Amino acid sequence: MAEPVEDIPVEEPEAEVEVPKKSKKKDKQDRANYPLKVNYCGVCSMPFEYCEYLADYDKCKRWWEEHFPDFFERAMKIGDGVDGEGDDPKKRQKRGGRGVIKAKKQVEKSKISVGRVTRNKKKFVTVVKGLETHGVSLKEAAKLFGRHFSCGSSVSGDEIVIQGDFVEDVMVLLVEKYPEIEEDDIEDIGKQKR
Amino acid sequence: MFKKFVAKENVSGVTQMKSSAIRGVRAKLIEDYPGLEEFQDVILPKKESYNLVKCHERIEIIAIGGEPVFFRQRDGPYMPTLRLLHKYPTILPWQQVDKGAIRFVLSGANIMCPGLTSAGAKLAPAEEDSIVAIMAEGKTHSLSIGLMKLSSEEIHTVNKGIGIENIHYLNDGLWHMTQIK
Repeated sequence: MAEPVEDIPVEEPEAEVEVPKKSKKKDKQDRANYPLKVNYCGVCSMPFEYCEYLADYDKCKRWWEEHFPDFFERAMKIGDGVDGEGDDPKKRQKRGGRGVIKAKKQVEKSKISVGRVTRNKKKFVTVVKGLETHGVSLKEAAKLFGRHFSCGSSVSGDEIVIQGDFVEDVMVLLVEKYPEIEEDDIEDIGKQKR
Repeated sequence: MFKKFVAKENVSGVTQMKSSAIRGVRAKLIEDYPGLEEFQDVILPKKESYNLVKCHERIEIIAIGGEPVFFRQRDGPYMPTLRLLHKYPTILPWQQVDKGAIRFVLSGANIMCPGLTSAGAKLAPAEEDSIVAIMAEGKTHSLSIGLMKLSSEEIHTVNKGIGIENIHYLNDGLWHMTQIK
């Protein structure tokens, strides 16, 4: 866990350098370090030092505490140590403009619903809805279903249509194949009408 | 450029690049960014698949191994994405803005001259129309990539209005486009 150290603003290896020319000389000495590994916040996807400019700063802090405890501690210490940080918000207010910027929202996960539609008395198709909110690519999933059940499977709009009655099997397969899908996320909506 | 960019809506097509096209791009990139040369085998590997992502408004993104790496609009110069720049900060020359400007830049604003000439900022000599990385006072990583609208000297003398056009910044549409399928 040596990486977070690079993210501590105090060191400022690049910001200190005045002219790019100088920096190039400096970099040649420690070229072995490239590519630099930059850690991004799991909440807002920004480098840690920019989290404070987004609306969910508190959430970010909690995330740091969980994933990079040593960085979190150091960041908190810096915040306490420097007095200038304290009156910054007031200055910012004066300059007007927009308030804190909202991080782009992650789509809320909805339930995956699996249903069966009667085609003609004795034939069925299985319809799977709501997969895309779980970060599953519909196109790839449709292909997987087709291959797995050896039948036709296609994407139509925001749902996947599988030719044949595979309601139970699809539920098992989804949980097995995609670690991000829990059994509770899937709902059997039973018989549907077109 | 990427303020209202959504990967799902604005991409019109992804195609695999021809090896001759790749060669051309590689030569162009190294010509434009001499700092890139020492990393060319890592950034521009020969074995990876290169995809050209065509987007609305004539934006083209080059993705290597599924990861967006360079982009350009119309026949403009190629520019690195911020994620690449974070890994290799030396490929672009940089300018530093003061603390007060950070949040404006993060919401997509162009960089005004006073933000580049004040006490917290550092202005390196650069030509008009050159591509620069924008760093911030007290921060280690760059927060934006911009196009110099004035030369550094002009910024000093004019000290008013737009100095650098903000092209790609943290948290914009391109930033959130991490993988290309």
